[in-house]
Amino acid sequence: MKPPVRLSGIGVAHSPGDGRGDRPGSRLSTALSALPQGASPVRLFHPIEKMAFLAGYDALSLAGVALPVGGDGIGIALGVDEGIDGIKARYYQEVLNDGPLGASPMAFPFTTPNTIAARLCILLDLRGESLTVCGGSLSGAQAIGLAMQTLREGRSGGVLAGGATSVEPEFLDALCRLGRPDGGRPRCGACLLLLEPQASAGEADERVELIGYAEGFGGDEIRDAVQACLEDAGLFPAQVRSVRVASMRDSRVLREALRRMGAKAPIVRSPASNLYSASFPAAVAEAATQAANGAPGPVLIVGMDCLAGASAALVRGGGRR
Amino acid sequence: MISPLNPDGDRERFWSSLCAGTTSVGQIRSFDASAYPCRVAAEVSRESLREAGAETEPALSMAGAAFQLALDHAGMRTDGSDPGRAGVIVGTVLGGTVSGERYLRAKTASEDEVVKGLEQYPLRRIAASLARKAGFSGPVLTVSTACASGTDAIGIGYRKIASGCADVIVAGGVDAICEFSFSGFCALKVLTPDAVRPFSRNRRGLALGEGAAFLVLERETTAAQRGATVLGHVAGYASRSDAVHLTAPHREGRGLSAAAVAALRDGGCGPHEIEYVSAHGTGTLYNDWMETKAIKSALGDHARAVPISSVKAALGHAFGAAGAMEAAVCLLAIRDGIVPPTANFEEPDPECDLDFVPNLARRVTVRTALSVSAGFGGQNAALLIRGGA
Repeated sequence: MKPPVRLSGIGVAHSPGDGRGDRPGSRLSTALSALPQGASPVRLFHPIEKMAFLAGYDALSLAGVALPVGGDGIGIALGVDEGIDGIKARYYQEVLNDGPLGASPMAFPFTTPNTIAARLCILLDLRGESLTVCGGSLSGAQAIGLAMQTLREGRSGGVLAGGATSVEPEFLDALCRLGRPDGGRPRCGACLLLLEPQASAGEADERVELIGYAEGFGGDEIRDAVQACLEDAGLFPAQVRSVRVASMRDSRVLREALRRMGAKAPIVRSPASNLYSASFPAAVAEAATQAANGAPGPVLIVGMDCLAGASAALVRGGGRR
Repeated sequence: MISPLNPDGDRERFWSSLCAGTTSVGQIRSFDASAYPCRVAAEVSRESLREAGAETEPALSMAGAAFQLALDHAGMRTDGSDPGRAGVIVGTVLGGTVSGERYLRAKTASEDEVVKGLEQYPLRRIAASLARKAGFSGPVLTVSTACASGTDAIGIGYRKIASGCADVIVAGGVDAICEFSFSGFCALKVLTPDAVRPFSRNRRGLALGEGAAFLVLERETTAAQRGATVLGHVAGYASRSDAVHLTAPHREGRGLSAAAVAALRDGGCGPHEIEYVSAHGTGTLYNDWMETKAIKSALGDHARAVPISSVKAALGHAFGAAGAMEAAVCLLAIRDGIVPPTANFEEPDPECDLDFVPNLARRVTVRTALSVSAGFGGQNAALLIRGGA
């Protein structure tokens, strides 16, 4: 059993509909105007950037962190995958159309996956660790896993962790025809959580914690991830009070794995399961919000990806165990 | 490791060529670069990758070959008989972008979408393919932190082992040259028209490179149980963000210095213990200025005493693979007591006034080395590597 990690801020931003163009609108203007350097909305080019910024800003603000952060006390772990492929495709299409003159020095820097984390670091002045992972619909889960490890080892005072995705048609139609991304058409969104080291004992009644995380890969990936997550938290399967599925994949294998382990908790699919890279953090956020409101825990969150395997995390609310 | 110096994976040939100051930067052959003002790069010969099939994504071919070489070198079997939980961590910036290029070209040329080969495109495909092939059960991660990807992949692997999340992690990086990235760097005007000259006053920019490199990381006890020869230890790691600009480094090297200091602290190592620094050394004006300042800031007075070299004059800049290749260079330097030179060094730059081991390899006892990487988005990472004894 390893020490829990405190979840002290949540930020979620997503498109209302099919993912074609997010309109964060006034919330974005408010957030940007609150930054001392006065970042202007025109400096945010892409929906994924806008939503990730808004989610990061909300998570830090909710936790009472003064902005800009400054110093290397807070880092970022962000999951981003096919979310940037539209940017890449549009950039290269211009090169195909116009040759070398079509290559835009303004657009090209936005084609690397770590751009979104970098933009958040610049806007919020986060100088700690900056890690970007690409695990399809598990991207955000894997980012949370890295953040938990960093915090448990005492390497950081806080990590803004989660995922962001922005779905665009260039590659998605073809990837869907190949059976990916999992289970259908994802939508635009970002979810970031501010994770901090274990809270002091005096705050125990208010805290919401991530108490376990694990990954699985190969034929028994779901079972392995769930078992290792329970071990990480020092829990038995029967102690899990509910299960949230954070992906669009069929959950029959998960259901069967839990039955064999002796877990009898109800399984629900997260409403955010179509947020792709952000789906897992968003499911964690849902569970955390419910835990803060007194819902029984712990809650097991399980995500799956056709290439990246499976991830599982456990959330519980403090003082109501 | 697969690099332009050893497309067949011959590690000793790679090392002897590197120490001899051989450079692999030449005219681009993997795509038609005739319309671009710069036309050089350090390529792995495509003929050497043909074995994997003409349609195979070059990054996947190189990663597969380097991954298998690493397992063989470590004496690691992949038939399920090796005990413990094994995983793969791949650092890559471009992943299967060559496949993405092919898809977009085909789509542009015809009304019908041609999806053949596109399954090799997703960034996480490489790590998943390697893990499946080896029968590993996880963790399986793809790290994309620009030019620090390979260093971060090894650092994260080191932490996974240290924390008990895995018994074995094969960590490294891969990237392949493609028109997509070449056109972008050309537009940013950071490519050299001829040779790469890191830290030299007349440097004119970087050359793209490619390749793959992987290290097998495991606990000392696990390696001993298998009777494996321990080549070295990852003793410390850190990542830090500049938080200033999307493409330009912090002018004083704030993030890189902070990463180096944190890696030293992580390894319980004082600056004076560092006997070799493998520099990022891209050969661009601002990187080399920034890096010199960062090394001075991190190592203090010792910065003037330690040999520092960049292998990018020889290998080009292989993005996601660069940090992993440079970690391997540190291990070879420790093994043989030789530090490779900074090739093509012509004129000292007054702003780059450290010992950059110009042009000739040097015999030096190296017990502890520091490998540093920096990248777009203000990414910085540092690895502390110690000898195997």
